[in-house]
Amino acid sequence: MEYCQDRPWYKKLIATLLGINNCDGEVNQNTQGLEKIALVGSPNVGKSVLFNILTGAYVTVSNYPGTTVEVSRGRGKIGNKEYEIIDTPGMYSLMCITEEEKVTRELLLRESPKAVIHVIDAKNIQRMLPLTIQLIESGLPVILVLNIMDEAERMGLKINVAKLEKDLGIPVIPTIAALNKGIDTLKERIGRYVTAA
Amino acid sequence: MSQQLNFKYDEIIEKSISDIIDNLKGEYVLSKRAMALLLLQEDEDIIEKVKETERNNYDKISEIISRTKEKYDKPLSYVIALSRQKVIEDITNKVVTKDEKNKNNISNFLSKLTMNPITGIPILLLVIYFGLYKFVGEFGAGTVVDFLETRIFEAYVNPWVNGIVNSVIPWKWLQDLIANDYGIITLGIRYAAAIVLPIVGTFFFAFSIIEDSGYLPRLAMLVDRVFKKIGLNGRAVIPMTLGFGCDTMATMVSRTLETKRERIIATLLLALAIPCSAQLGVILALLSGEPKALLVWIIFMVFVFLFIGYLTSKIMPGEGPSFYMEVPPLRLPKLTNILTKTYTRMQWYFVEIVPLFIFASVLIWFGNITGLFDVLINMLKPAVNMIGLPDDVATVFLFGFFRRDYGAAGLYDLQQAGILSPRQLVVAAATLTLFVPCVAQFAMMIKERGAKTAVLMGIFILIFSFIAGFVLNWMLGIFGVLA
Repeated sequence: MEYCQDRPWYKKLIATLLGINNCDGEVNQNTQGLEKIALVGSPNVGKSVLFNILTGAYVTVSNYPGTTVEVSRGRGKIGNKEYEIIDTPGMYSLMCITEEEKVTRELLLRESPKAVIHVIDAKNIQRMLPLTIQLIESGLPVILVLNIMDEAERMGLKINVAKLEKDLGIPVIPTIAALNKGIDTLKERIGRYVTAA
Repeated sequence: MSQQLNFKYDEIIEKSISDIIDNLKGEYVLSKRAMALLLLQEDEDIIEKVKETERNNYDKISEIISRTKEKYDKPLSYVIALSRQKVIEDITNKVVTKDEKNKNNISNFLSKLTMNPITGIPILLLVIYFGLYKFVGEFGAGTVVDFLETRIFEAYVNPWVNGIVNSVIPWKWLQDLIANDYGIITLGIRYAAAIVLPIVGTFFFAFSIIEDSGYLPRLAMLVDRVFKKIGLNGRAVIPMTLGFGCDTMATMVSRTLETKRERIIATLLLALAIPCSAQLGVILALLSGEPKALLVWIIFMVFVFLFIGYLTSKIMPGEGPSFYMEVPPLRLPKLTNILTKTYTRMQWYFVEIVPLFIFASVLIWFGNITGLFDVLINMLKPAVNMIGLPDDVATVFLFGFFRRDYGAAGLYDLQQAGILSPRQLVVAAATLTLFVPCVAQFAMMIKERGAKTAVLMGIFILIFSFIAGFVLNWMLGIFGVLA
């Protein structure tokens, strides 16, 4: 795969002049040789917010489904090790309908990440868990993140995280990514999970 | 860690799964169980992949799939999804508790107002009036542009650059490359920094607030019915409104639409009828002195948008799209995110356009000294005259081929010089808006829709924009509007 940084200057210039600077994704740091961690999940659950927190980069974040249409890659430090963090366009199910969903599935098929972080909107937990099941069925190394916990709580939802973790048999971490809450725990759990695997 | 969840589907499906697994000899990244399930749900890409790997063996798998299908009167994807949903329900019933409290809060109430046509349309008009017209049009394209143009560039930068260049550099051709009428700094940088940047910046700022509030999905619900008439659905609201910021970005986002047909319609409409913020700002500034002219332009653009959308949806084969979209809660936008987002988008835009503007300056300079430019302008003149416009506009249109906003900025210069009548202004603005998109958008169209489709669209747009300009001019003449 050709990295954007490796292109000769004249190719870059031509691409910019013609407006076809199509290195995919808004962020494309050089991550060659690093182990991969992919963020997946339905649209509008906060994958890009987490990506920004984990990598310190900025990809566009909005309050509507479908903000992210391309894959972004950045370097992020978890524990003492650097990883390639991958932000993906949202997908509802492993059975794909739209093109962005296909992009994400292809990525999972091709790049075999060390950990697949399934981010869900905690208040829609029931609607979003089917994808978790599909990821588990697929034998992928899944970690579940219950994001936007504050809105869920405001709606009066209480989630027994420990029990959910036991039922699913995978790590489950509650977060409020937009307010930077739960991130330390998340990083610690990812670190432990990835090194144990 | 405890045992991973391992649940069973009903017997028939489990039997089919294990039968398929027995026939899967190749290596797959996903577990064979997952592959079997995707095959049963008849996922096209996965079927292709398995066909390639298993070759003759695939016939057996295909047989298992059809045998399984016969046993249910519902599609297998439905059956499988249903059993998953049941397992999830069992889990969440134990894990999640809900106490019914504050269900009806302000955000819910507002949310309903935005989606109900009776209140939603006035809200939309308010958003457009304050967000677009007042903030982007009057403040961005008016106050800020005026300040940068007259107070900074015309008062200081241009005379200063012209003075230095003309006294230090002895050759006229090099003087003209850097300064004077079409110089890199006096034209290219000035257009980019003083006219386009403030407009794009204010637009992206306003748009970020709208985006982060969660208004767009509600707008999608509101306009769904109208959009269905033009072969799209509410989902297309997002690329379309984003197009008012930057059509290139929006063309890329049209990927989120479900069918190829929708994506083609959306791409064409973005290229033809949606002016980007740079263009929009300049046009608002151009026409705001003539409210009637502005109204004519708006009505004309809306008409073209609906008319072409309707025609394309009739011509293009395919079913009407179904609409499913999640509506996130209304949220209070975070200032830090709005600022970062506006900043990164402006940066993206600037990095993209400044080289283009400089390149355009160089091209125009080259065209000027070789005389090629005059030849092209002379070729354009009859077409321009045909739609009732003076010769000078030919230059603007030539710029417009390169970038529509560059052309619009040129039009702004002409208006400042008092050359155009209101009627000519509207015709010129409308034709230019319809015009071939900028080079960047065209490149994106090629990338997303393929060269053949993109070129066909380009040719259609070029011809259509002149015809439309002609018709508009003719109608304005007949009805004596803006005489």
